[in-house]
Amino acid sequence: MDAESYTDLIPLIFLGVVFFTVAISALYWSAKKGQLKNFDSQAKTIFTEEEPEGEVSDSFPSKKKHHKEA
Amino acid sequence: MSAPQSNTQNQSPYSSANEAVRAELSVIDASIRSAALFFVISAITWLMIGTVFALLTAFKSHDPDFAGAYEFLTFGRVRSAHLNAMALGWGNNIIFAVGLWIMARLCRAPINHKGILLIAGVFWNIGLTVGIVGILMGDLTSVEWLEIPHYATPLLAISYALIGVWGVMAFRFRKGDHVYVSQWYILAALFWFPWLYVVAQIMIIWFPARGVVQSVTNWWFAHNVLGLWLTPMALATAYYLIPKVLGRPIYSYYLSVLGFWALAIFYNWAGVHHLIGGPVPVWLISAGIVASIMMVIPVIVVGINHHMSVVGLHKEVWRSPTLRFIVFGAISYTLVSIIGSTMALRTVNEVTHFTHFTVGHAHHGVYAFFTMIMFGGVYYMMPRLLKREWPSATLIKLHFWACALGITIMVVALQVGGWIQGLEMNNAEIPFIDTVQNTIPWLKARSVSGLFLTVGHIAFAINFFWMLFAAGAVRAKQGPTLLDDSKEGGAA
Repeated sequence: MDAESYTDLIPLIFLGVVFFTVAISALYWSAKKGQLKNFDSQAKTIFTEEEPEGEVSDSFPSKKKHHKEA
Repeated sequence: MSAPQSNTQNQSPYSSANEAVRAELSVIDASIRSAALFFVISAITWLMIGTVFALLTAFKSHDPDFAGAYEFLTFGRVRSAHLNAMALGWGNNIIFAVGLWIMARLCRAPINHKGILLIAGVFWNIGLTVGIVGILMGDLTSVEWLEIPHYATPLLAISYALIGVWGVMAFRFRKGDHVYVSQWYILAALFWFPWLYVVAQIMIIWFPARGVVQSVTNWWFAHNVLGLWLTPMALATAYYLIPKVLGRPIYSYYLSVLGFWALAIFYNWAGVHHLIGGPVPVWLISAGIVASIMMVIPVIVVGINHHMSVVGLHKEVWRSPTLRFIVFGAISYTLVSIIGSTMALRTVNEVTHFTHFTVGHAHHGVYAFFTMIMFGGVYYMMPRLLKREWPSATLIKLHFWACALGITIMVVALQVGGWIQGLEMNNAEIPFIDTVQNTIPWLKARSVSGLFLTVGHIAFAINFFWMLFAAGAVRAKQGPTLLDDSKEGGAA
């Protein structure tokens, strides 16, 4: 089925408006929830007890063995 | 399963009210293990299939008779089969593996509804197999990046939607307080892509709009596959793994958030620069060019941030398989984006349009940037999922050098050759056939680069399946993590 006129696409245009509203709401939500504050501490949320800050957590397998023997 | 609690817990800078309910990373890794493995195995299988199609396509472009006796191996079909096997087979499966794994880790909760992921994965790979076979049989559509025939696309759309739903649910039930920048990128991509795909399918395949609207939709979609799907997923991986491997927070978290929102605002507009000079309203093209130039902001922001995050730690980068690949990808991101913004200028586009320059640019973005970062992600993820080491450091190095050299040769050859081709095509005194024949040496160089990449991919696949199946032969991990043994407080 062909779309003959732009009015056939009104549902899609409506969906586009909804989509845009969601995006703007996400920005508003993030500002309201303090996601845009305290940047320094937020950057550290990826570190945990298991993979802590200050330790290199990846190397070549052979390098590791070498360290172990040493 | 979980690591012994160390006595430093009370002084942990990461503790918060939610600490008690947050899961250990190793527990999260275990919960997503089967789904992630399924996706990585699928991705590597498609990578190898796509490589075969790539080699066929590359040889055919300078030697048209090569394997030309079979209908299903004609240039138009293998080229489209290559594009779809790589972009949708390798690209999407590896995103579903690495991207969703990072999402689960950042949500700090073991994943629920693993079934959704597996169903989506099975749908995805069945739909894609049907699609690629359809392309080879000649059912392909004439729309670039949407060649998959209409009978296969509903499966793909359902699969996308399921993955999107999973992402939203993982986010909803997260235990962390803060939404890390990688989560923003991944969530946004999971939100954007089903939308892009469904709109493009509706307006081009199912209820096709006519005329220029169709071509505008086509390039809006095609460029956004790179910009709003592959790019955010690769940047999310880089933003997670660069600080993670180095054990040092990202240089400026502020810049990373700024970069994310700038990309979210500008990238969506940029696609129409593919139609510069076409019969499209000029204001639309101009808006696309402005957005393409504005992309310099997030690109520079990301480039500065990644550079400053590794500065002074170059030895550690070189010693880490993950970061070798990821830093190569991050540098490529800056380069390819700046070149891309420049190509959107009308005067430059006059030369590069309809030439191999564009092909080189596409591989620069999807391979040198996206794929290299995803390779890095796999090198970090697999030992943690399987609790095993990679069996061979030599194969990792071979993989890196073959791919790094291969893609560099390809991009340089296609862009230098493409630029010359563009200048010649704009010169009315040069017969058209000469401009075609003059590209042949550059296309042969591209085939050589393809051989390099093939060697790299084979090394990667051997190392991966060796790790996966030769369980007894490989030293099992002692603890849940893969910390450097040379340091105290390493693997428990």
